[in-house]
Amino acid sequence: MTRSTRFMLLLLISLISLGCRTESGTNVGDRDKLTVCLLPKIKGIPYFTSCHTGAQEAAAELGDIELIYDGPIDGDPKEQAELIEQWIVDGVDVICIAPNAPLVVANAMKEARTAGIHVITWDADGVPESRSFFVNQATPESIGRGMVDVMIADVGPDQEGDVVIISSDATSANQNSWIDAMKPAIEESKLTLQTIKYPGENAANALADAQDLIKVYPNLKGIFGISSVSFPGAAEAVRQASKSGEIKVTGLAVPSEMKSYVDDGTVNSVVLWNTKDLGYLTVQVAKALAEGRLTDSDTSLNAGRLGEIQIEGDNVLLGDVMVFNKDNIDSF
Amino acid sequence: MTPNSKTETPAFARITTRREFGLAVLIALITIFVSFFDPRFLDAINLRDIIVRCAPTAIVACGMMLVIVTAEIDISVGSLMALTAAAMGIMLSENEWNLSLWIGLPATLMLGTAVGLLTGLLVTVGKVPSIIVTLGLLTALRGFTTLIMGGKNIDGLPPSLQHAAKQGFWGIPLSVWVAACVLVMTLVIIAWTPLGRRIFAFGSSRYAATMCGLSEKPLKLFVFAYTGFLTALATIVDVPRLPTIESGIGLEFELLVVTCVVVGGVSINGGRGTLLGVLLAVVLMTMIRPVLTYLEIGEEAEKWTKAIQGTLIAIAVIGDSLFRRRGRGESRS
Amino acid sequence: MNQPRAVARFNYWHELVLFGLLIGLLALAEYLSPGFLSLRGQLYLSRHLWVFAIMALSMTLIIIAGGIDLSVGSAMGLCAVAFGVTFEMTGQLHVAIIACLLTGVLGGLFNGALIARFNLHPLIVTLATYAAFRGMAEGISQGESYSQFGDRFSELSRATLLGIPLPGYLFFVLAVLVGLFLWRTPTGRSIYAIGHSAEAARFSGISVNRIRIRLYTFSGFLAGLATVIYVSRFDTAKADAGRGFELDVITAVVVGGTSIFGGRGTIVGTVLGLLLIHETRQFVGRYWQVDELKSIVVGVLLIVSVLIYQLLVTQRETRSH
Repeated sequence: MTRSTRFMLLLLISLISLGCRTESGTNVGDRDKLTVCLLPKIKGIPYFTSCHTGAQEAAAELGDIELIYDGPIDGDPKEQAELIEQWIVDGVDVICIAPNAPLVVANAMKEARTAGIHVITWDADGVPESRSFFVNQATPESIGRGMVDVMIADVGPDQEGDVVIISSDATSANQNSWIDAMKPAIEESKLTLQTIKYPGENAANALADAQDLIKVYPNLKGIFGISSVSFPGAAEAVRQASKSGEIKVTGLAVPSEMKSYVDDGTVNSVVLWNTKDLGYLTVQVAKALAEGRLTDSDTSLNAGRLGEIQIEGDNVLLGDVMVFNKDNIDSF
Repeated sequence: MTPNSKTETPAFARITTRREFGLAVLIALITIFVSFFDPRFLDAINLRDIIVRCAPTAIVACGMMLVIVTAEIDISVGSLMALTAAAMGIMLSENEWNLSLWIGLPATLMLGTAVGLLTGLLVTVGKVPSIIVTLGLLTALRGFTTLIMGGKNIDGLPPSLQHAAKQGFWGIPLSVWVAACVLVMTLVIIAWTPLGRRIFAFGSSRYAATMCGLSEKPLKLFVFAYTGFLTALATIVDVPRLPTIESGIGLEFELLVVTCVVVGGVSINGGRGTLLGVLLAVVLMTMIRPVLTYLEIGEEAEKWTKAIQGTLIAIAVIGDSLFRRRGRGESRS
Repeated sequence: MNQPRAVARFNYWHELVLFGLLIGLLALAEYLSPGFLSLRGQLYLSRHLWVFAIMALSMTLIIIAGGIDLSVGSAMGLCAVAFGVTFEMTGQLHVAIIACLLTGVLGGLFNGALIARFNLHPLIVTLATYAAFRGMAEGISQGESYSQFGDRFSELSRATLLGIPLPGYLFFVLAVLVGLFLWRTPTGRSIYAIGHSAEAARFSGISVNRIRIRLYTFSGFLAGLATVIYVSRFDTAKADAGRGFELDVITAVVVGGTSIFGGRGTIVGTVLGLLLIHETRQFVGRYWQVDELKSIVVGVLLIVSVLIYQLLVTQRETRSH
């Protein structure tokens, strides 16, 4: 056993000595360029891919920006925090994050700011003291209300009937914040919220849940599909049950993903904003912030092709939630 | 792994066991309970929907059962489903390569079989335990799929394929027909071919089987390749039913399939299990979601869905073990 | 005569291979991405490691004993909810921490009791509790998150002593204790015996069932402990804590040379496995900035590390015969 003890000790000692190289890390990327990190909630879904396209456009236009686009492929907020911490060590210039769960990433964001990195949020806001600006395309309140308003308009303002929500997981922070806004709005209307389903990010379950809900609630007038998986799932279920038009489906999605359902009348309206503009504006804000062109007291910002953009407090406003329908969906 | 001493009739020769009886009773009780609340549960359209959802799980479970009977495991099927779906989408979609069905579908099947063969080779020739190989593939294939899809969803599959998956023939979607064929094929393999008998022989006692001059490698290669093939097959018949091909397809599918096989009474130590048990378990696991919807349990109770699923799995396996101990006093290692 | 015996008795091939891989990786990383090895950066990023690392200790013991615990990630979810609920009711941190640990212990005890008393396969039991624990956590908390435990609690996972984060000390103390237990105590050695053959161990007078129950209870306890660090690090107690951790922990243990069939493995190996995976992820993240590659590389690393070991062992066996 002595032989093995010595061996183990040797292993440990050499390992420790190996790690010891005291010096601060050098930076990743080109020093002449501004390193901007764009951190989506989930990497690999069309919504954020389209934001990325807009961000690339801005980076190319501004010229001296190195754009890093990376994020968790499963939408794990823990991994968002880990990426921020990685970037702190790498010494990047600006971090733009779409927080999946504001509290989970708040500490990492604060540490990034302490390390002299500019931190802004986009797509969803974080804890206020953890970032300098929020590129605000919509608040949870306006998204939730917006979806309910669209549904009421689709169903008919005086129509009574049942609606259901198909969410993501029971723990999905964004979806839950929208649901909180949707509930009172539905209550005020003549519609009745029957139930909320949680199929997770699983397309087969989302489709199955929607099919069952259609059968169980004969008076069903509308389905809210509030994740990138459950919206098309609900629309597909309505189409397969040949109830297009009878049961309205709405939710958040990249318009192009829902085009075939809008064309055949299953979906009247898709609630969203211009995702490319969102990515574009985020990079514009990042650049302006790093160059000191944007300060706390500013009320507007010149954002390239978007022109003059309004700033309210620390919110950079992209504009309101947009509603896409048959008439304008082809242009996006 | 540990040689089990058995004096009972070989597993493949028996038609029913206590486990199948228990599962059938459980399914019947649940069905009666739900239809008491809501008779519409027994409507033809709902039964059809449930059967359609069972199909992909049943197809892959046939392969998984053989894998587990040889005392191995394959937890990569969910990620493999995503990979084959992405490959099928890229090859067949009108927005992508737009190949003919006659090229795209065989190529998808070959891809699934090839990954299964690779798993089998690593397990037999490389001597890497199957749970490790497939755990590695579980993460690697998922990452690879997300990478090749490049953050976009794929749609525009050929209308004929979509029609077959959604409407099918004589009112029954293609996946159900295929599942029936796969079940019959697997039953034939298990019951009437030397291959099937050898698979069970190896699972129940590797030592005895080797002493009888049987060779293990081809058997294991076969079961892994078969599972890979069936996963690709399930993808082809079921994925076109979904609205679009996205990188999250088949998420946690491996857990569902393994759970079904285990709940169906296949021993994780190998050598024991019946196809009927697995099929009943697939039905049981699939009917939980619709049952909860039909019970109209309300939004707060919806958040207990996973807990209910877990409890049901526990009841199925623990209850069976209790019966067995009392019934035969049998001890297992 | 001495030489071949020494070679044959040298049981630490896997650790040696891992160590070589780790050195190679670090050298390559520093070469390709200068500044990778800075001590400050390494210590700072080590915080990604501790939660996994703590759970990997009990997982090592369980796998050496021929079992597996798929429910640790879900148990974390349940512990986190217990933490949050108790804190909301009492407003006292230490009560919340005790509730969190207790939940873990009870969850582990439940697993262990089912496995030992009903003679069920650990894979089946923990597959069931994998779904059940997570589901209970979601049901009890209704998917909501608990937060605002105060800055002092949040400091617990961030504060450093001599540059090393506090959870690091906790891990090293635990690792040394568990390592000594496994290596030096009769009970520790009997875990190997159980992993080799539970039947033989039983006949030689080892109380297999009691040890099994204790192992799973210990695993639950460490899941509770890991949850405390997790909650402190992310300021959030929520039912989705620890999702997917079970596979990451098992990966680290197996890469560390523990045989999935039981009977072989060391704590040093597990520590090396953890470091190797941690550094690999970090390097891939830093060099390519593509998250998908991390899963691909870690998956391939898992297979290849075991493959290399198997090839070495097979070669050695053929030589010695």
